Amino acid sequence: MSAARPALAPAEREALRSAAQWYARLSSGIDTESERRDWERWHNADPLHRQAWQQVESVRLMVEGVPGNVAASALHHSRESRRRVLRQLLVLAGVGTLGWSGWNSQWRSALMASHHTAVGEQRRVTLADGSQLLLDSQSALDVRFDAEQRLLRLLSGRVLVETAVDGLARPFLVEVPQGQVRALGTRFTVQTEAQFCEVAVLEKAVEVRPAASAQVLRLEAGQQLRFDRTRLGEPWTSDPSVASWRSGSLIAIQRPLGDLLDELARYRHGWLRCDPSIAGLKISGAFPLDNTDRALAALESGFGLRIVRRTDYWVSVLPAQA
Amino acid sequence: MSADDFALRSAVHDLYSSHSGWLRGWLRKRLDNHSDAADLVQDTFVRVIKARQATDIRQPRQYLSTVAKGLVIDLFRRRALEHSYLEALAAMPEDNWPSQETQAIVLETLMEIDRMLDSLGDKVRQTFILSQFEGLSYPKIAERQGISLRTVNNHMAKAMEHCVLIRMGLL
Repeated sequence: MSAARPALAPAEREALRSAAQWYARLSSGIDTESERRDWERWHNADPLHRQAWQQVESVRLMVEGVPGNVAASALHHSRESRRRVLRQLLVLAGVGTLGWSGWNSQWRSALMASHHTAVGEQRRVTLADGSQLLLDSQSALDVRFDAEQRLLRLLSGRVLVETAVDGLARPFLVEVPQGQVRALGTRFTVQTEAQFCEVAVLEKAVEVRPAASAQVLRLEAGQQLRFDRTRLGEPWTSDPSVASWRSGSLIAIQRPLGDLLDELARYRHGWLRCDPSIAGLKISGAFPLDNTDRALAALESGFGLRIVRRTDYWVSVLPAQA
Repeated sequence: MSADDFALRSAVHDLYSSHSGWLRGWLRKRLDNHSDAADLVQDTFVRVIKARQATDIRQPRQYLSTVAKGLVIDLFRRRALEHSYLEALAAMPEDNWPSQETQAIVLETLMEIDRMLDSLGDKVRQTFILSQFEGLSYPKIAERQGISLRTVNNHMAKAMEHCVLIRMGLL
């Protein structure tokens, strides 16, 4: 697209390579006085060496310009979270061909997901067999029906499934990165996160299988469970409001504030931070999901919390008293 | 205005009037935010104008969507990095947070560093981060990564050479 770049003369290229090698030697943390003298000799031997070293210095200055601990953790996470962000938005058909190295996940097929929702959006979907889905905020799902099975792939987010009776008697399966949920004639929700998958059964039952384990567990109506690729967690009795999100509100009964805010964060852009000192505070109430600013206002007035907005994308929830 | 410039302008104008509405729709389906979509339409055309190729585009929609895809990826990278940066800040006491201006500069620099390191392999990238940002010595890195001292040294040289070449616009 752009004009041809000026090529580097072989000597310049070579100088850059040795400058980088010198940099590597001097960064070892075990360099010696004699090594420094060797470096000086190299540096002064040739104007090309000095030029090349200046380039290395400019990179070093950038590195020094950011606080190390924060940068390390942001850079560590950036690859993973970028994959996650892409998974959620899942829409760049063909991104692989752009040569973005890093992007190599098993979820490449996610790019062709048949249904996805934006932040704050919920969408109803009726499938070919008459089954009903409600896709929650920031979710993506692929529908693969064939002669053998009715397969959904939940790539991110959360879905409420109400299965219909199938004339062909094909099994109904929901696949998540952590494993598989098989419907046994039923209504249930499946939610997939980075580390685990959570299933809640509203009617009848489902069978849960982690991807990398031979375990199978039958989960009955009113029960809920978390699992990951290798392990099934202990089922617990669901809160009656477990699927209240489907009616556009979050009903909390003695729910820890941190947990509640994580839930609200699914429905809004940006970063919603909870002060650790109040994360355990128990909250009860009904909070609108289609307008999370109102939900935050309700927390502020009803529970004496302080909502601090640095920007619309960065909101902190703090104790009332500074 | 030269004849070339004139041809380029009218080609861009045609492209814009015939396809910008379509491109906005295309982006809106891929982003969950209307103003992002509108911004990226403009950015896409800025790129098209800079590339000075508008006169010989045969499949305009394919071309525009390829350019737009690159911009969408950049936007996602920025959001992802911003998110990790805020997360890292959130783990620190609020009194120690840098000013908004400093944060903006740090974030910009991080973006650039992230972009430089992006096409490196995981081990090489990791080695560079451990040494330059976490301040670990080579023996510690070798132990942590399960590689030899010599490999640590080679990874570091490779990473630095790569960064320099990218900064010079040669990669």
